Amino acid sequence: MRIADKMSFNQVNQNLTKNRSEMADLQNQAATQKRINKPSDDPLASARVLTARTEERGNTQFIKNINNARSFLEFSDQSLSELTEILVRAKELAVSQSNDASGNEESRMVTASEIEQIYNQSIQIGNRKLGERYIFGGQKTQTTPFNQSGEYFGNDADMKIQTQKDSFVAMNLPGSKVFLGRGLGGDGIVRAQYETPTDVESLKDFQNKEIERQQINEEVDSNFLTTRGPASESGRQNRSDKQDPVTGSVGVNLFSTLKNLEISLKTNDKAGVQEALDTLDQAISQVVLARSEVGSRIMAVNSTTDSLQKAVVDNKVTASQLEDADAFQVISDINKTDSTLKATLETSGKLIQPSLLDFLR
Amino acid sequence: MSKISAMMDTGKRSLMNSQTALQTVGHNIANKSTEGFSRQRVELQTNTPITEGNLQIGMGARAGVVTRVNNPWLEKQIQREGMSMGFQDSRADALSRVEQIYNEQNNKGLNQYMTDFFNSFRELSNNPESLASRTMVRESSVALTKDFGRVVGQLKAVQEDLDGQIKTTVEEVNQLSKEIASLNEKVQMVEVQGTPANDERDRRDLLLKKLGEKIDISWAEGKDGMVTVTAGRTAILVSGIGSSELKARQTDARDRVEVFFEGSGSTSANITGQITGGRIGGALDVRDHVIEDLLSHVDNMAYTLAKEVNTAHIEGFDKSGRNGVLFFDMPDQVKGAASVIGLNKTVFNDVGRIATGAQPGAAGDNTVANVISALQYRQVMDGGTSTLDDYYSTQVGQIGAVTQRAVKAQESQKNVMSQLTNIRESISGVSLDEETTKMIEFQKTYDASARLIKTADEMFDTVLNLKRM
Repeated sequence: MRIADKMSFNQVNQNLTKNRSEMADLQNQAATQKRINKPSDDPLASARVLTARTEERGNTQFIKNINNARSFLEFSDQSLSELTEILVRAKELAVSQSNDASGNEESRMVTASEIEQIYNQSIQIGNRKLGERYIFGGQKTQTTPFNQSGEYFGNDADMKIQTQKDSFVAMNLPGSKVFLGRGLGGDGIVRAQYETPTDVESLKDFQNKEIERQQINEEVDSNFLTTRGPASESGRQNRSDKQDPVTGSVGVNLFSTLKNLEISLKTNDKAGVQEALDTLDQAISQVVLARSEVGSRIMAVNSTTDSLQKAVVDNKVTASQLEDADAFQVISDINKTDSTLKATLETSGKLIQPSLLDFLR
Repeated sequence: MSKISAMMDTGKRSLMNSQTALQTVGHNIANKSTEGFSRQRVELQTNTPITEGNLQIGMGARAGVVTRVNNPWLEKQIQREGMSMGFQDSRADALSRVEQIYNEQNNKGLNQYMTDFFNSFRELSNNPESLASRTMVRESSVALTKDFGRVVGQLKAVQEDLDGQIKTTVEEVNQLSKEIASLNEKVQMVEVQGTPANDERDRRDLLLKKLGEKIDISWAEGKDGMVTVTAGRTAILVSGIGSSELKARQTDARDRVEVFFEGSGSTSANITGQITGGRIGGALDVRDHVIEDLLSHVDNMAYTLAKEVNTAHIEGFDKSGRNGVLFFDMPDQVKGAASVIGLNKTVFNDVGRIATGAQPGAAGDNTVANVISALQYRQVMDGGTSTLDDYYSTQVGQIGAVTQRAVKAQESQKNVMSQLTNIRESISGVSLDEETTKMIEFQKTYDASARLIKTADEMFDTVLNLKRM
């Protein structure tokens, strides 16, 4: 092939440009420690990096959600534990005053005032606050759930917290269930609503069901069965146990149970105290079951946290595997390109310099 | 005597021939670096011999014609590939800018703002009572709508920049057309005398190549040696010694620059759709296809997001139990949604108006906040087959792939070009070694011719001194 001078110059130029741009690219990789600096460096991988990052951010948020829910649940658990303790104390008192061997009219009067204290304490527990939020008011976190006579002003709803892409966990127990025994499952266990609306359709369904439920609640309230209503306390509104017409569960109203016991003690009604023993048992088991529900939720979110934390690490690893530069590879490539560049420079010098003219002196 | 004179004459012509050849060598060396130059050669021919009886006596040589060493088919191929080079070049340049808009390797982008938006609703769902979480939702929403605006703004800025490039390039096209027409005239003027217009043809070939890099042209040479150049399918830029202009201007229909062919008289034809090559073709392709497509995707996302969030939000109840308002200012239509999407003023001015609950009067009700945050994982795009995130990252992958292909095509086209240029140089390029050799050769011829004249001169002397001897 005939070689014109311009060809040699072009060749030298092209080779040097190529080597230098390769070098620049490698140095960029070394400096950023990243293989991908723009989508076109590896389109498929950069889209996947994006997905991994989004997932990582989502998961990090879920961990925050869980931590928030956990403190709520743990506080509920602690409160329920105290509630159990005072109910057990109430039962002890009731047992001791249920027969004439250990109790008499006077001791029953004294015990009644301790039961009153327990009643007040349980109202206080029902009105517990975490930060600025009442924990047993359902979603009505800014309204005091119970008044002194044990009337409920919260609602029956759960506060659902997203813990994973497609799962939600309720972080609260509505006081209506735990304290009033309303809307429990057939087995008497406090459960969260199964479904969480995630689109507008199910949101509307949910809203309609909520309205229906409220109507049912009102109906239940107006049709409750009075199991006992001492004539001496006729002035006091008497809420007592009733069967839930929806779930068929027999929940217990803790406050009326305590109040009834107190009244029975005050009126020296031995039979009434004995009767209260059964309801107290039920009440204790209601609270214990509620606590176990809280416990299982805590366990569930704990194991979710573990898998989320692992997922966050996995996402990081995925992103890093996809986009990080292999440091050893880059350094060895730099050395290789460097020696190529030097060789190109050297040979270029030889290629350009001599022409026939140089030998014609 | 006549033989001695003839000898002298032959010597003289040979001297002149060598000078001519050396002059051409000089021309070649001088144009060693001239773009588009083809080396030239003096074609020496033997003079008509004289017949004397049965003898035929040679009368030396004469310089016939100066030709250029050039392969016209190769030139045409280079011109065609140059067209593709121009196309790939401008396309790759523009796409590299477009891809930076979607580059979230180092900066925050739409994808992250979107995640922040949904996460802020998750945070709100943790604590709907808190003004701080509500403010966070506001901030993340404003940031998200701003980033929608940024993406649209930057895409449009690239479009505008391409408009500018098209305008400038059209001016260059007009300039080149004018020069080609004037070279047509020169070529014709020189060649009508029977001499090849080497330098003019080189120059014209080069200008055709440059013109082709800017816009897709087809051209043909007529019998008179003049070329007719057509851009696109119908715009005759150069015909004989006349040239027509192109105009780049905005139309009423669209706020983008279009290319018009201004023929003779007042005719003006829109040839934008015909241009598929050269730098203008590449710019048009990115501007009208790639970017328009991306804009419609971003609009689609903004519209769907606004629609879905709004329909959920309006079902909800705010902090004080009021009915939910629109969360985003609802764009009227998909087109342009990304540039108009914004947080509703009512919500912006009072974060209490963010509706988190499904029922009024429950401050801790986060049902609607959950519905909105769950939108991130719902398949609301592409007819219910992909989530907003999928849709977006697919776009990023696509733009990355398109850019990567464009850059690779540009590289391989560069290689094709450099190979073709090499072949061209190996045929038409100037080699100093070769020219030097020729120089020595012609110098020797010159020397020998002079020696011949000297010999003839001495022979004359001999004849003139006959008497004195």
